[in-house]
Amino acid sequence: MYKYVLRRVLLAVPVLLLSSVIVFGLMRVMPGDALVALMGESGNIGERELAKLRKDLRLDLPYHEQYALWVWQMVTLRPGDSLFTGEPITTSLKKAIPVTLELAALAMILGIVIAVPIGVLSATRQDTPSDYVGRVVAVSGLSLPDFWLGTLVITFAAIWFHWIPPIGYVSLWDAPWRNLQQFLLPAAVLGYRLAAATMRMTRSTVLEVLREDYVRTAWAKGLEGRIVVYKHALKNALIPVVTIIGGQLGVLLAGTVVVETIFALPGMGRLTVEAILFRDYPVVQTNVMLVAGTLVTLNLLVDLSYAWLDPRIRYR
Amino acid sequence: MPTDATGPHGVNRRQFLARTAAGLGAAAAVGAARPRRAAAASYPDWIPRSDKPGKRGGSMARPSAWDPPMLDPRMTQSVGLYQTAGLTSNRLVRYAFADEASGPSDMTLKGDLAESWQSSPDHRVWTFKLRPGVKWQNVAPLNGREFVAADVKYCFEQYAKEGVQSFNFQEIEGFETPDKHTVRIHLKTPNVFLAQNLAEPIAILFAKEVLEEDGDLKKRLIGTGPYILKEHTRKVRMVLQRNPDYFDKDRPLVDEYTILSTPDAATRLATFRTGQADILWVASPSEVETLRKTNPNVLVQSYHNTLAPFGVALAQDRPPFNDVRVRRAISMAIDRQKMVDTVFEGHGIPGWGVPYIYYTDKQPTLAQLGPWFQFKPAEAKKLLADAGHPNGFSTTLFYYEYFPQMTSEVQLVQQDLKRNLNIDVKITKLDYTTYYGRYVDNKWDGMSWGFQSGHAIGVDERTYQYLYSKSPKNFFRVNDPVLDELTLKLRQTPDVAQQRALTKKIVDREFDQALRLWMPYDNGFMVFQPHVRNAAAAALRRSDGYGSPTLARTWLDK
Repeated sequence: MYKYVLRRVLLAVPVLLLSSVIVFGLMRVMPGDALVALMGESGNIGERELAKLRKDLRLDLPYHEQYALWVWQMVTLRPGDSLFTGEPITTSLKKAIPVTLELAALAMILGIVIAVPIGVLSATRQDTPSDYVGRVVAVSGLSLPDFWLGTLVITFAAIWFHWIPPIGYVSLWDAPWRNLQQFLLPAAVLGYRLAAATMRMTRSTVLEVLREDYVRTAWAKGLEGRIVVYKHALKNALIPVVTIIGGQLGVLLAGTVVVETIFALPGMGRLTVEAILFRDYPVVQTNVMLVAGTLVTLNLLVDLSYAWLDPRIRYR
Repeated sequence: MPTDATGPHGVNRRQFLARTAAGLGAAAAVGAARPRRAAAASYPDWIPRSDKPGKRGGSMARPSAWDPPMLDPRMTQSVGLYQTAGLTSNRLVRYAFADEASGPSDMTLKGDLAESWQSSPDHRVWTFKLRPGVKWQNVAPLNGREFVAADVKYCFEQYAKEGVQSFNFQEIEGFETPDKHTVRIHLKTPNVFLAQNLAEPIAILFAKEVLEEDGDLKKRLIGTGPYILKEHTRKVRMVLQRNPDYFDKDRPLVDEYTILSTPDAATRLATFRTGQADILWVASPSEVETLRKTNPNVLVQSYHNTLAPFGVALAQDRPPFNDVRVRRAISMAIDRQKMVDTVFEGHGIPGWGVPYIYYTDKQPTLAQLGPWFQFKPAEAKKLLADAGHPNGFSTTLFYYEYFPQMTSEVQLVQQDLKRNLNIDVKITKLDYTTYYGRYVDNKWDGMSWGFQSGHAIGVDERTYQYLYSKSPKNFFRVNDPVLDELTLKLRQTPDVAQQRALTKKIVDREFDQALRLWMPYDNGFMVFQPHVRNAAAAALRRSDGYGSPTLARTWLDK
């Protein structure tokens, strides 16, 4: 297994390098730069002054030098400062990462906690009203875009309950109850989509496994339905479900952009979108590399989890 | 069977269906617009100051779409900064606050850090007498030291040296500070509007010590203003705390003011609905009506814009737009009233660039904007044919969607120009940075959805800065010797009546030559919780934006 892990880690290097070239290139291809965005609508700044500022920010260097400089900064874990705000990127990330992590983790927990039992229920009561309800809920989750659902949730919460999560992020450690109030609705919105996909996959894989010989044997042995379903069937049905959940992580991270905007949470999504809009090259590049690294790692973890779920699986 | 067979009256099935649908749609639009327009008209355009004595205490919050990228007033004119900076810092001169003004158009100048000011007869030397005993906020490294004339000199010199305000301050030739409470400013050329220009929301005084210690002003904002910036967490909140040493004794009245970063409009509305916010801006009458269903007691101020910030900018330094007939034809082919009625639900202005309050007392109607602003497609077509384009032509238009209705406006322009002049407009929607970079580069061809920035109040800014051919803000590429002469002359005319007459001449000339094709713009509404007093928004300075200084006089009646 160690060899397998090592090979995967080594394979991740070209993936990350390619990602770095793509994001660096794309940012340079986009017209305008951070200074143009920063100066806003003033129109009061001359070309000479802009040139000086560009030099100060090293935006006047040839692209290959800028790239080499950035790669070196990434390797030495010193990604530099934001062009736009002047804040060190590490400081911005320290503020944004916990927000997105908390949101994604809560969404993931909510998604799985809702999806797996409903998926199993749907499968064990195939073609009954509860199955139909479960399927409708799942299809709705896949169809409703996050921005629409989020807007609806916040609007109707305000109209019907005269309540919305308190705006103005506070950290979990400073004010846990307030923090939980702030995250519950956005996590539910984000988790719903994840739950929908997971629910459908759980239903179909459990249905498949329930028709296997060993499950029939378990029934024949007179085991309790709960034991048959959850101990014998579900564990074996989980591999595709875990794969789906792993695949959904990218979608989940993309969803944070919208959900963080609607619920005014200062996470990675908002940080990245703002940086893209304002051509804050180092921030975008660092964030993209961070997300790429996270996805590569998570995919590896998902692959490794197969062996735990199915001991027959061997890594070479 | 042919599908385009015409019926007995020469109308085929498709045409019949299309016309019926169009008729029903128009009837519905008219029907819907009327009550909304009536509803908009029922709100006052000014909330006079409260008769009760102000009460000290409490905290106030506002959701804001704007998040300042940094705190350096030399580097940005973003409204995100000045919604805060207007309260942490002062200018030498200011406009009347909500509790002093007689109405939204009251542009009376008042002393801010200056007690009095005077210009020499030739308007080249201005003397400002500073208010004695003003202290910088009691925050390191200022620690409450006295504000003196040398601070003004230093600050204005820094503005002139670099950054977005350099053009304005570079007209200063030199300073004298004969004593610590007197500043004498020498200008290179006469300017009767210097005091007005120094009352612009962006002309705040910053602290020398911060710039010298930090090398920039990106992270700390320390001023002499009514509020101290206690917290600035980007994308979360800005917290302003009452400055106990503020020179205007007993003010401000509200202890704490929090600006919540909320990029989404639905969220901003929800924060107000649920009482998390006290002040809100809403764009349309229908939004106000929806809001009032859940919050019937809110105070609504129907805001009236005195200018439109956006219009069609033409590459008028090259064919075909260097021909005045083409510009006039385009202007006449666009149905502005339809835009006001449909896009802005009747609560909008047809569009002009120079604030009308500088040349007339009443808001102009569309009919008063001159012949080239009227919707006359047949005449427009004839004019374009006279200009040598009987079959129209193809062109491009790029824009950035500042607000959702803008896309509808752009599409209506495209539709009108195609239908009425056979001009094919290829639209490109860009992100802000791309749009802005291309627009100010001034090398583009065809058309753009042009703008003038929102921070400026004074007539000098709106005439000379935007219409003088050599001004760096001449984004519409105006190059008209008559306007050059008039705008320069206006800067040297001290008499207010003559100023108004000259401004009118400038506006008439601009309209006659169709130099900037202003487009309709919404008026919007300021909405306050029932307990908010003295926070009304005045012309060109909304209290949620560049007009934030007025909140120093706000109090909470609860």
